[in-house]
Amino acid sequence: MRLPRPAPSVRSALLAPGVALGLLCGAPTWAQDLVAADRPVQAQAPADPHSEPSNRETVISGQAATEDAPEGRASSTVTRADLERRLPRSAPDALRWEPGVFVQQTAHAQGSAFVRGLTGQQTLALFDGVRLNTSTWRQGPNQYFFTLDSRTLDSVEVLRGGASTPYGSDALGGVMLAHPLEPPRQPTPFRPTFFLRGATSDSERGGRVQVQGATERLGFIGGVGGRRIGLLESGGPVRNLTDGQLPEVPRFDEDDRTQLGTGFDEVTADGRLVWRASATDSLTAAAYLYRQFNAPRTDQCAPPFSRFDECLQYDAQFRTLAYAAWSRAEPDGLTARATLSWQQQHEQRTFNRPAFAVVDRGTDTVDTLGATVRVTPKPYTVASRPLRLTFGADGAQDFVRSKARTTFTALEVELVRSRGQYLQGSRYFTGGAFVDAEWSVHPDVTARAGTRLGLASARAPEDVESGTLAVNNTWVPWVGHAGVEWRAAQVLTLLAHVDRSFRAPNLDDLTSRQQTGPGFQFENAALSPERATTLDLGSRVHTRHVTLEGWGFATRLDGAISRRPRNVTDCPPSTPQCNASWSRFQLVNAPERSMLYGLEGSTRVRLPAAFIAQAGIAWTWGEGPNLADRPSNPDVPYSPRVPLSRVPPLNGTVELLWAHPSGLSASTGLRWAREQTRLAVADRSDARIPLGGTPGYAVLEARAAWRLGTRFVVAAVLENVTDAAYRSHGSSVNGPGRGLVVSLEATPF
Amino acid sequence: MKRIFLSLAAVALLSTACDDNDPKPTDPPDAGGTDVDCPNPPHYTENVTACQPAATDYQPRNATANNSTTDAWPACISDENTYSPIDPNISTVARVAAFDEIATKLWKGGKVPTAQEFVETYDLYTQPEGIGSRVQRREDVHYPAAPNGGRCRDEGVPATAPDRCVGPAKLLPIITDAFTRGGKGEAPRVQAARIEAALLWFFYVSPLSEVMSCGSAPKDCDSAWAYYTGGTARGEPKGLARYVRELAPETHERAYDAALAVRCWRNLDNESGTAANTELQLRARNQYDKALLRGTALILRQRLTELTCGNEEGSQARMAFINTLGPFFDRAVREINPPKADVLKAEVAKTNAEDVDVDAAVAALDAVFPCP
Repeated sequence: MRLPRPAPSVRSALLAPGVALGLLCGAPTWAQDLVAADRPVQAQAPADPHSEPSNRETVISGQAATEDAPEGRASSTVTRADLERRLPRSAPDALRWEPGVFVQQTAHAQGSAFVRGLTGQQTLALFDGVRLNTSTWRQGPNQYFFTLDSRTLDSVEVLRGGASTPYGSDALGGVMLAHPLEPPRQPTPFRPTFFLRGATSDSERGGRVQVQGATERLGFIGGVGGRRIGLLESGGPVRNLTDGQLPEVPRFDEDDRTQLGTGFDEVTADGRLVWRASATDSLTAAAYLYRQFNAPRTDQCAPPFSRFDECLQYDAQFRTLAYAAWSRAEPDGLTARATLSWQQQHEQRTFNRPAFAVVDRGTDTVDTLGATVRVTPKPYTVASRPLRLTFGADGAQDFVRSKARTTFTALEVELVRSRGQYLQGSRYFTGGAFVDAEWSVHPDVTARAGTRLGLASARAPEDVESGTLAVNNTWVPWVGHAGVEWRAAQVLTLLAHVDRSFRAPNLDDLTSRQQTGPGFQFENAALSPERATTLDLGSRVHTRHVTLEGWGFATRLDGAISRRPRNVTDCPPSTPQCNASWSRFQLVNAPERSMLYGLEGSTRVRLPAAFIAQAGIAWTWGEGPNLADRPSNPDVPYSPRVPLSRVPPLNGTVELLWAHPSGLSASTGLRWAREQTRLAVADRSDARIPLGGTPGYAVLEARAAWRLGTRFVVAAVLENVTDAAYRSHGSSVNGPGRGLVVSLEATPF
Repeated sequence: MKRIFLSLAAVALLSTACDDNDPKPTDPPDAGGTDVDCPNPPHYTENVTACQPAATDYQPRNATANNSTTDAWPACISDENTYSPIDPNISTVARVAAFDEIATKLWKGGKVPTAQEFVETYDLYTQPEGIGSRVQRREDVHYPAAPNGGRCRDEGVPATAPDRCVGPAKLLPIITDAFTRGGKGEAPRVQAARIEAALLWFFYVSPLSEVMSCGSAPKDCDSAWAYYTGGTARGEPKGLARYVRELAPETHERAYDAALAVRCWRNLDNESGTAANTELQLRARNQYDKALLRGTALILRQRLTELTCGNEEGSQARMAFINTLGPFFDRAVREINPPKADVLKAEVAKTNAEDVDVDAAVAALDAVFPCP
């Protein structure tokens, strides 16, 4: 948690209308971002969003309105301005330009961010401080961050490295903190804004109607949106590194560019009401609905080596999040926030096999009741230096419903399975209490430390018919962190930090049975928490024209929960598909340590003529024990230590940004990655990864935007200018081919 | 009384002839011929004394030949006359086990399956990674590949090469239709027989397909072995191997020899990588093909001889079996003896059991497949 902050009443007063102004007023948002992003606020923004365009550096739409990530750590932020400039397809897509983040897509309607080589359940996603991770998030990439509507986001902070002390379980590789758009903080007439968006490569057509306004005490922002997205056209096939052949995934249409098993429909709705009860207290009531329909899982539509017409599709992928929050910010520095939340994650899958006239259906629903409280009292004084403490407690209780059935359509017969992917009636709790401290030991030295006592509990009933054992486990992990920040020179800051984080096994690890990318995976009810110890060393250089940041890290995973190849004889009862699968896996705690090492760098350089250049680069290297038994044949290669699964290759970004006070702005960006040939055992049987590894790529895009007066903004991105055929490592979907993404925003009244 | 005497004699004979590797008395019979409506089917006795293995055949049972200076096969992992899996986890074993389970529920012993049993077995057949998943993509490697590099699992391709894409183009429609009709209670024994026949052909073409794919995927040699044997030792056959062994023990032994030949080839040919010795690969495949084809043909032969045995329902079931399995032999028979192929084709196409010239059909098969 970021501790000492300027009194929010002042800064927020500038930021909030700044956001509104950036959206609604004549001040060119992108120009303001480019020019002012690194500068202090020089003047207060005009309260009236209808005021005439101004060239004054008043609006900080390039900065996030909310920053929660702990200080003194490796982090970066995607701002609203970034989102408007890059026009990402989704929340995960918005993270592609962040240093140290690599986005994998198992489907066009899915996206999973790798942070420092870890993803899915080994990273934590928060929305306005509410935990999104549930106990059914599976090992490896998952689709759930995609179920945030990027059009409702003000910013996304990415904290790289472990952070279980403030955030609890799962925060091993990093934390993604999504912050929603806030309503205006000052009286503003209620008015609608219309957003239209389209893209050529996947025939996207969509829009959103948003209404926002505020009275003296009450502010509201809300909207309804939807889009229909078709098959995604790529730049062409990405071939196996070993033999140059086409991988099994994805399947292409006859043009060898259009990817089958892509496309989806999406409907969203949200409302956020903020009541400023007093000068120090505010209450927020908010609800966010995400509804995704008919989203095929690309690597299973059709599955490798299967008929063209077999398809696993998410008929419904829903998230409903509703919460109430109370916040207090006193002038003396005390801040407090408490939330009560309910979240429902619901998915309904259909695996359709027309040739057999068979449809398998699975429905999983997780209801989560959550509560958090955090209090930062006014600073204490210790040895004449300020000490800030933050106390917090949180808890999230999951209630799981899971069903599976098979329909033989020609026979009009339905078989109800004894269990779904999970066990009906399972329960899971995760939470804990923590204390964090920040002590300014010296004007140039700040020390930080904290600790958490966690609690995780898993309960799942036995299912005799499927031979599934009951689960009744409780863990009480104790973790902590410590770090120091030394301002070594006017422009140079050095940082060091060590963190111990944990992830308790969740219901997916403990109870799920599923066909995964590399084979059939079955449960292990005897898992124990995995722990990550991360050492970060970083430096920041900050001058008037240059910002430079570099980090090196080493993460040691103890008891890492990883896939161990299993024999046919290990398959649980009543799982013929386990016996018949090419590969079988069970999650186990690795008996030896796994290691991740990495280097991350980012820079931002202010150039003449209102140009700004920025770049990022990340390298990650992971290795762990080989969990497969040594082959009896000595000719078969075997190594006792092997690469960790799906660790991204060396990758980076370069962007050149320009803006003109007239409202015209332009930018170009290049994303690149080297080939990744370091494959885990499971990766080699994962159809998402071409044989031998994933080839490298470089993808160029060009962007332009024009803000016309106070009411219209047109933005466009020419993506993949060179029409490169490329794929992010571990993805089922190749990236879009050359195409245009266009966005129109209008506030006509 | 005569029947009892014959039964006792048969039991006595079996009890003296069996060794540890032979099927246990509790093992259900596979090869047909013991239907409740046809308790005394014509008995086929294999006589291959006139047959000699080809000089290029792999002969692991014959220590003299195997170790002779003229042995066409260098020393290899199969010389101990047992199969050594490349990978102990052979997914095909589960598919053969599923076949045996389906057999027990649908057709063994002339059973009249219920609609519910069709549903249960269809569920087994269509399990992810189950038999159906392989039927739908099975290719018959005797035929040229689909034009323009088409893959049999791709849309429209089976229609362009139905013989090559035998799984999706021919077997899959038969099996799906039979399960559907059976699930609706329509002529259950007939539908069960169609399923049995189609799956037996699947288990004939599959080992040969796996031999070819084993060149790049070594584990597929294990599947080539397991699709025939069910992943068992010589004397404990499952699936197709059990059918063959019960009818023609030496043919089974020769098929097992050939499965070991496949493993021997892969052992000699860069076992952990991509194979290069296509000559040895084809030699093993051809040895395997010859034995498997004869074994499968003998199953057809047996059903022909049982055709009019027993009641009407059983006869219809056997007719359906012959109508389903018989046409698949046309390619192989025609390659060897076109006139016999014409005869066989005509007889197995008849739909009325009384019209079938069993002797002519059997003679055609005997003439074309005299030796394993």
